[in-house]
Amino acid sequence: MKKDLLVVGVVIVLLAVLIKGTNFQTVDEYYLTHIDDITSDSQTVTVSIRCDEVLKHWDDLDPALQSEEFVPGDGVILAASQYVLRPGDTAFDLLERVTRYHKIQMEYQGADKNSFSSVYIKGIHYLYEFSCGPLSGWMYRVNGEVPQKGCSQYELKNGDVVEWVYSCTLGQDTGGQRGNGE
Amino acid sequence: MAWQKRVTGAALAFASALCVILPAGAASSARYGKEDFWVAAQGIVQWKKQETGSAGDNLLEGAFLESAGTTGGDWYPIAMGRMGFKDDYAGYLAVLEAQVEERYREPEKLSGSKATEWHRIALAVLSAGGDPTSFGTDGQGKPIDLIADGTYNRGKTASLGRQGINGWIWGLIALDAKPYSVPESAASTREDMIREILALQLPDGGFALTGDQADPDMTAMALQALAPYREDQTAYAIPNSSGKKERRTPKQAVDEALSCLSKLQQADGEFKSGGFSNLESVSQTIVALCSLGIDPQTDSRFIKNGVTPVDVLMRYKQKDGGFTHSLSYDENNPAAVPGESNSMAGEQALCALAALWRQAEGKTALYDFTGEQEKTSLAFTEADKAAVDALPEALTTEQAVQVQKLFKKLRQTGDFPDRQRYLGILSQAKETIDGIQREIDAINALAQEKLYPYETVGLSSKEIVDQVFDRCQALSEYDRSKIAGYEDIRKTKTKLDNQVRSIAVGGILALVAIGLTVGLLLRVRSRRRKKALEMEQLAAQYADESDEE
Repeated sequence: MKKDLLVVGVVIVLLAVLIKGTNFQTVDEYYLTHIDDITSDSQTVTVSIRCDEVLKHWDDLDPALQSEEFVPGDGVILAASQYVLRPGDTAFDLLERVTRYHKIQMEYQGADKNSFSSVYIKGIHYLYEFSCGPLSGWMYRVNGEVPQKGCSQYELKNGDVVEWVYSCTLGQDTGGQRGNGE
Repeated sequence: MAWQKRVTGAALAFASALCVILPAGAASSARYGKEDFWVAAQGIVQWKKQETGSAGDNLLEGAFLESAGTTGGDWYPIAMGRMGFKDDYAGYLAVLEAQVEERYREPEKLSGSKATEWHRIALAVLSAGGDPTSFGTDGQGKPIDLIADGTYNRGKTASLGRQGINGWIWGLIALDAKPYSVPESAASTREDMIREILALQLPDGGFALTGDQADPDMTAMALQALAPYREDQTAYAIPNSSGKKERRTPKQAVDEALSCLSKLQQADGEFKSGGFSNLESVSQTIVALCSLGIDPQTDSRFIKNGVTPVDVLMRYKQKDGGFTHSLSYDENNPAAVPGESNSMAGEQALCALAALWRQAEGKTALYDFTGEQEKTSLAFTEADKAAVDALPEALTTEQAVQVQKLFKKLRQTGDFPDRQRYLGILSQAKETIDGIQREIDAINALAQEKLYPYETVGLSSKEIVDQVFDRCQALSEYDRSKIAGYEDIRKTKTKLDNQVRSIAVGGILALVAIGLTVGLLLRVRSRRRKKALEMEQLAAQYADESDEE
């Protein structure tokens, strides 16, 4: 009788395990696959990508780009949303990750290919430097201010709000002086 | 009589003393000479070599070559060539030519919006001893003419002004590098470019990218472009700030811009851009003054409180030989640590030093290549042969630029013993590396298409994930670093492997559970049967016993 009870007990435990669907993995594997789930402990940042200014300078826009396909009607290429901040992430790391995640076209020039020793964002969503007049191009703000530091040099902190904005007036319309491309 | 002699003697002595003291007082700062410029320039090149990790004697080799054709690379050979520094210009030209040919196969060639790509590369070709009017061949086998495509014919593709004033300024500088002739069919003549620059001159006489306040860097660059026309009194009809057309000449423009630049100089001799004193502004000013035939160390318009622009330039020199962007924190550029050498400051200082050195040596202006011959041969040398033989067995994209350089040089060279052998090795190497690059691009495209966003990847995609992962593993470590999001691929594979393992373990557990349950049920049944049998036997026994009584 005791043996039977033991067996019954084991079966119940096994069923419970199966029903709960435990993932069998090592500790390393756990952290590898859970690094980007937002939990109450994780550090996050908010990222958005907008090109509102282009709508105000439509005539300066490269004719090939004058459509909803390249310039969304509301100027929003990526609405503000939260992403996990991995240790040491720079503004560039986040941009690269979110554009890949959302399949948004993005082209950049490596830090070793320009004089700034920082990654230079050439284009997002097919909008490039000078696509909308000689003073146009991409810039980024963190918590409302323009860092003027290369995006691959700027390390983000928990809670930072990163906005990528397309300026058509060398930053005067979007809150600060842009660097002069080259 | 004796006392008269003594007075005369004393007077003479006094006068001599004055002759020594007075001039010394007037020249409060030491004047820099061509040796100083040479040494400082060498210091920058040494610093840059260290920064790039160049092992050998040359800067223009190894990893540095990967930036050929970009702003990060070209300015160094431009300035070095102008000073006649010894380096591997042939190697740089070979890679640059290969890069230009590759980019020319794209619809927008060097750039859709920036004509300055042509201008800078043309200056690099000239300085490295090549000919920018015939630099490699395009997809149709025609020679590439960087001057035509980037200056007088650029208007056929896109306006030089597409990127603003820089397009006109550098277009004119590139076109005037030599007395290139502009054909009848050209989109823009020299006069057109001059007119555009004149039209952008601000009321204060200076130039800027935007707004109506002169910026020293832009004013200096406009002066560099107009320098060849400083005595030109041709009349141009230029609209003024209220739109009314005025009669302007290049000479007037230069005089006014020069006057503006002089006013922009601060009391401490510095020039401010964006509100902060910096290295680049004074460097461009020095190049402008030298281009105009003005000595920055002696022209009183540019000496403030005894400080000359060259004094200012030297303030930015650092102990490690490099130059820094600013001496104090610049909130416009917080990345540039004050007192820390950086690459952009290095290139700009190098250009200023080259201009100064050339002026001291009585040579032409920095961007004036008149009379210079194409002098760099891309012939395949003994050193190149050794380099081919030293290529590693297992090639990776790390050798891409090296192979590109050697292959180009070999193809430009006539027959010699063993040429076929080297041709075989290099063409094979190029094929191998191109193949690896194609594989890297294919993996990246596949991962981008099928695996993003990776959270949605389920077991149904396990085959693709495994395939992509295996292909990544097949690459060398160097090549694998070029896979975008390799970490994410690895993570997804791990996740799916876990899921499979969970299912397998779950399956086994389920089987065990079933097995145990079945076993249990069987035991219960067999025990019941045994009991029933025992009961029957007992009953039979009792029956027998009662029968027997």
